[in-house]
Amino acid sequence: MDLVHILVVGLLLGGIYGLVSIGLNLIFGVIRIVNFAHGEFVMLAMYGAYLCYATMGLDPYVSTLLVVPALFVFGVVVYRLVLQPLHNESSMQIFATFGLLIIMQNVILAITRGEGYSVPSKAAALTFGLGDIRITTSRLVIFLAVTATAVALHVFLKKTLIGKSIRAVTQDRQSARLMGINVERTYTITFGIGAALAGLAGVLLSPIYSLSPGIGGNFILAAFAVVVLGGLGSVAGAYFGGMIVGLVEALAGYYIDPELKQAIWFLIFLAVLIVRPTGLFGQVGAEEIGFREQG
Amino acid sequence: MSPNEEPPLIPETNRPAGSILSGRRTTILYLAGLGLALVPFLLLSRDLFWLNIITYTYLFAGLAVAWNIIAGFGGQFSLGHGVFFAVGAYTTSRLFLTWGISPWLGILPGALLCAVLGPLIFLPTFRLKGSFFAIATLAFNEVAFVFANYMESLTGGPRGLQVPFRAAFVNMIFADPRHYTGLMFGFMAIAVAISVVLMRSRLGYYLLAVREDEDSARAAGISVTGVKLRATALSAGLTAIGGGLFAMYVRTIDPISLFTLSDVGVKFALLSLIGGIGTITGPVLGAFLIIPLESYLRALFGGAGPGVHLVLLGFVMLLAALFMRRGVAGAIDAMRRRWRHRNQQR
Repeated sequence: MDLVHILVVGLLLGGIYGLVSIGLNLIFGVIRIVNFAHGEFVMLAMYGAYLCYATMGLDPYVSTLLVVPALFVFGVVVYRLVLQPLHNESSMQIFATFGLLIIMQNVILAITRGEGYSVPSKAAALTFGLGDIRITTSRLVIFLAVTATAVALHVFLKKTLIGKSIRAVTQDRQSARLMGINVERTYTITFGIGAALAGLAGVLLSPIYSLSPGIGGNFILAAFAVVVLGGLGSVAGAYFGGMIVGLVEALAGYYIDPELKQAIWFLIFLAVLIVRPTGLFGQVGAEEIGFREQG
Repeated sequence: MSPNEEPPLIPETNRPAGSILSGRRTTILYLAGLGLALVPFLLLSRDLFWLNIITYTYLFAGLAVAWNIIAGFGGQFSLGHGVFFAVGAYTTSRLFLTWGISPWLGILPGALLCAVLGPLIFLPTFRLKGSFFAIATLAFNEVAFVFANYMESLTGGPRGLQVPFRAAFVNMIFADPRHYTGLMFGFMAIAVAISVVLMRSRLGYYLLAVREDEDSARAAGISVTGVKLRATALSAGLTAIGGGLFAMYVRTIDPISLFTLSDVGVKFALLSLIGGIGTITGPVLGAFLIIPLESYLRALFGGAGPGVHLVLLGFVMLLAALFMRRGVAGAIDAMRRRWRHRNQQR
């Protein structure tokens, strides 16, 4: 296996991490909630894709149109019912999202009785060659999707009124409120978008992974690493952070030991956290804002 | 303070030595509380099902108390205490398996190791605050999980370590399960006692000062990092002892049972939060509520399908988070204050 091949594998893997992380980073960066249930949102969307396939025979790429809006609504409901009442109670929010994680995982487990599912997609199974490297469509689609999402989200945050209000609330909640921005609505929309992005990730990942209720756990810690590595609340950070984690995992897996690849990117993550806690693209000082100072 | 007002951010029960919580009376109250904690053990000591649950309850109460030292009193919301738990468990079992060192002694090197290791790995992370600190410590847990799987000669890798059943007092292996229950009760009592002593010591006051306002604490001449490190050493050492006891009780440990977040690292936090974080009694109350509830639900709904009991437990957690922000201890405290207030008005 040559270096180019490893780099391609790493970038495609990075696309997966980036896609899962973008929504998490938005929620983390704007609302300052550590959403432990984010991986379960992804998992839920995967089962949503399965449901669309089983009942209507839809290809997962088509069911994106149904599952992503559904996850947006789900996110809004969860935020309104559970997280908004706990506003200013960061440790209780961690606790509540962990409760959500347990509920979602086990509801799915109870419904499916632990049976594994897979979502077949004709389009996703195609492979094509790039030189002598074979790439499956499903992974390429994810890479393209994360790139498009990052660009779209960036434009959305910079140009649209909602995007601007999200950025204003992130910078200074009080001043934003004084300027007439509805802070709670902005938070609700942000959480909805974050959940919808998790939904997109879940649907696009469903042809690659076989579905299990605990699959969210495979993504969530990687996603946290990406978020911290890239920088709190930074779209570019999630994108490039994902790529870095993917590349490190591929390189370390090949040159050091496949069993240790995760430990190595966690060590890098810790090193970044210590040397540059704002992450590679984050705003300086963001990490200093602790639980109490948020009020 | 009128009863309609929101309770202050930090519940009043945090007072290490207030007007009613001082001196001999408190000591008697805590002893009475511990005595009360013995009641289920005495009542149900013949029922093996409940005995197992009570044993776990005592153990996890002690572990939650240990976690609460740095997380509740010090405000450093660690999700990496699974590392110390695992180091304690592995050290005790490894010393016993390889050199036949009695766990009564073998538990100490693990605790000392963690008392050094804990401050060492937390030192770089103490710059981080709030959720950043939580996530960084979570990462420690994951790194340790990977290494525990990898270092097979030390940890037995994914298969783990099995301690053979050779019942003897010196081996800390008992034929009578009640002895384990007593052992775990002792652990819990020691952890509570350390908490009580700590909160009346200079270090305890420093710790509260650091939690409330680091800058002011520093301005008052407190070495903020030094205080955090000492509290971490204490908390990590106690957690390692709990890990060692756990290893001798279950006698089979593997990375999954030691590092699974919802069973270990995050559970300490959940128990403390549900009972009342930053209070001495809170973590114990949390363990007494959640551990039996969890086991009971599992027994009750285990046949209804996989995961049903955990769905219910998740809902209990969610409701507790929404409606008991200060935990059980906070709710009791608010009730007591309201009652006292009413009496004063008469």
